[in-house]
Amino acid sequence: MSVPEGSDPGRGRLRIGIVGAGFMGATHVAAWTAEAHPVVIHDVHPERAAQLAERHGAATAATLDVLLAAVDVVDICGPTHRHAEVALAAAAAGRHVICEKPLARTVADAESMLAACDAAGVRLFAAHVVRYFPEYALARARVVAGAIGHPAVLRLRRASYRPRHSQGHWLFDHEKSGGVVLDLMVHDLDYARWVAGEVVSVLCNSVGIARPELAVDHAVAILVHASGAITHVTGSWALGRPDFRTSFELAGSDGLIEHDSTVGPIGSWLAPSGDGGHGAVGLPSSPVTEDPYRLQLREFMREIVDGVAARVSARDGIAALRLALAADESARTGHVVRLEAGPR
Amino acid sequence: MSATADRGTGPIRIGILSLAHHHAESYLALLPTLPGVQLAGLWDENSTRGRDAAQAHGIPLLATEAQLLAARLDGVVVASVNAEHRRFVELSASAGVHVLCEKPLATRLDDGRAMVDICAAAGVRLMTAFPMRWSPVVAAMAASLRAGTLGDPLVLEGINTGEMPDAHRAWFVDPALSGGGAIADHVVHLIDLYRWLLGQEVEEVYAVANRILHDGFRAVETGGLVSLRFVGGATATIDCSWSKPRSYPTWGGLRLEVTGTNGVIAIDAFGQHLTQYGPREVGIEWPFWGSDPNLAMLSEFVAAIREDREPAITGIDGLRALEVVEAAYRSIEQGVPVRLAMA
Repeated sequence: MSVPEGSDPGRGRLRIGIVGAGFMGATHVAAWTAEAHPVVIHDVHPERAAQLAERHGAATAATLDVLLAAVDVVDICGPTHRHAEVALAAAAAGRHVICEKPLARTVADAESMLAACDAAGVRLFAAHVVRYFPEYALARARVVAGAIGHPAVLRLRRASYRPRHSQGHWLFDHEKSGGVVLDLMVHDLDYARWVAGEVVSVLCNSVGIARPELAVDHAVAILVHASGAITHVTGSWALGRPDFRTSFELAGSDGLIEHDSTVGPIGSWLAPSGDGGHGAVGLPSSPVTEDPYRLQLREFMREIVDGVAARVSARDGIAALRLALAADESARTGHVVRLEAGPR
Repeated sequence: MSATADRGTGPIRIGILSLAHHHAESYLALLPTLPGVQLAGLWDENSTRGRDAAQAHGIPLLATEAQLLAARLDGVVVASVNAEHRRFVELSASAGVHVLCEKPLATRLDDGRAMVDICAAAGVRLMTAFPMRWSPVVAAMAASLRAGTLGDPLVLEGINTGEMPDAHRAWFVDPALSGGGAIADHVVHLIDLYRWLLGQEVEEVYAVANRILHDGFRAVETGGLVSLRFVGGATATIDCSWSKPRSYPTWGGLRLEVTGTNGVIAIDAFGQHLTQYGPREVGIEWPFWGSDPNLAMLSEFVAAIREDREPAITGIDGLRALEVVEAAYRSIEQGVPVRLAMA
């Protein structure tokens, strides 16, 4: 493990407590250790915490209380429906909170998390990592610089295979995860808002809600922004393994920006081996020197330590959750769901 | 009655009624290449444009619509402004001449219904110009769906976006002549493909639109997204926006992704192109090397006349697509999903 340039050994690194040693927990532990932060891991399944800790030279904590006593920042990577209880405990213990998207399963939970963190004087972060992916960050910066004029029609697409978990996994329990809309589409709902501003209405169709008996999930939403821009968002767990694809098109009054991850820098056509070697959940693959997860966590650290605001706030996380829940409601009822313009 | 009955073994004589739609240029070029087809003449409301085209293709220019229709035609291609389709189709029907009508079938639903009815009453065939069913790329997707590769189709997401069409003809952005903007112009192609691929009819339509693209051009909507529900439960969307800037390497395109119970198939119907880099003021171009679906569409029109049968795409298909367009505009006005107004 190397200490990155520019670090200040005298100040030390904040100690990170990971809650949830699943797929995203492992991704975050790798990023934290690369950033030379001491990591402690807690999982309701102690053997999973131990395995992950072993791989990265991290410590484990048998209980959440033990973890809270040993760290400065709690990084919540567990199931969506349990984010709130962990965040509230962390805030009560005076720990900063980083929380995977979606921030919570309900807006009430997310609001209570933010209120608790505010009251405790600690920061709450929503890990909308897509804002740190270089293609997304660059496109948004170009839009802000006026490259396409006023955003008019956006299409955002994120498609993967169905995560490789067993049938009873919380991700497949709509009550716990919110399905593909809350878990995957929420990335692009956040991005749509980042690029084209507040959303005033959502219509959504979801295979997972209309046909819950199927093994695939696929949702398409149409957003209207307060600016008049309109956005088409797709979140899909319907691809065959091992594919993960993202694409977007941002059309404006004076230009157009396109991106498609399938037009990538590397091609490989290899003989299949076993299960193909792909992970439990698909992730995009286009190698860059600056890992988006590390960049995100570093920005969160900078906000805690130096007070420089990260590009995504807890309020953004709540707004994205609101959009995802509006999409879910629309898919359930067949109605257009209207939202108040502007953040509360 | 039509010339069908006593046609014998002579060539099939086709006329062109109006060059207002730029597709007419393509029909003029392609029709003479079909075996057994004679381009019998044209009429155009713009006499200079008509004379130039007639000379370029070595065919007669007729002084009136009636004279063209009386020139022993078997079939006529109506490529007028959208709002005039009904008038020309009615003239053709009363002259007993089979019609291939440019899309959209009409600008108003009752016009479309009247056109279907009058052709049926006159015993002439009415075909709607939806060439994309004859794109080999689209046909490959259709074959794949029929073979069950994808399982049950669940969601269709289509993109038929393009440049602002006033680059071709000014009337496209005059709602009195075109019937609307991006929704009227671009929704019908994908509706026809969806109905064809699924074998189902649309039952509900939601649409949103805006007028931001192209520096806020205000006369008609330039951006549009449509969401559809089919009778069998499948859903679909269409991005019909005129969202390609002038600098785009080509006019636009048609893409379609179908998600089924067994995965996803995606096509780019105009993806068969070179990438050509010119001087800065020309920029990048995408010369298309794929097969021209217009040729096979014209060939079907001619075959339907020759074999005295319904063409593969009829006026009813044009009408069904028009019903969706009409519903989309109603949805935009009301801000909610609407049911189709069934004929």
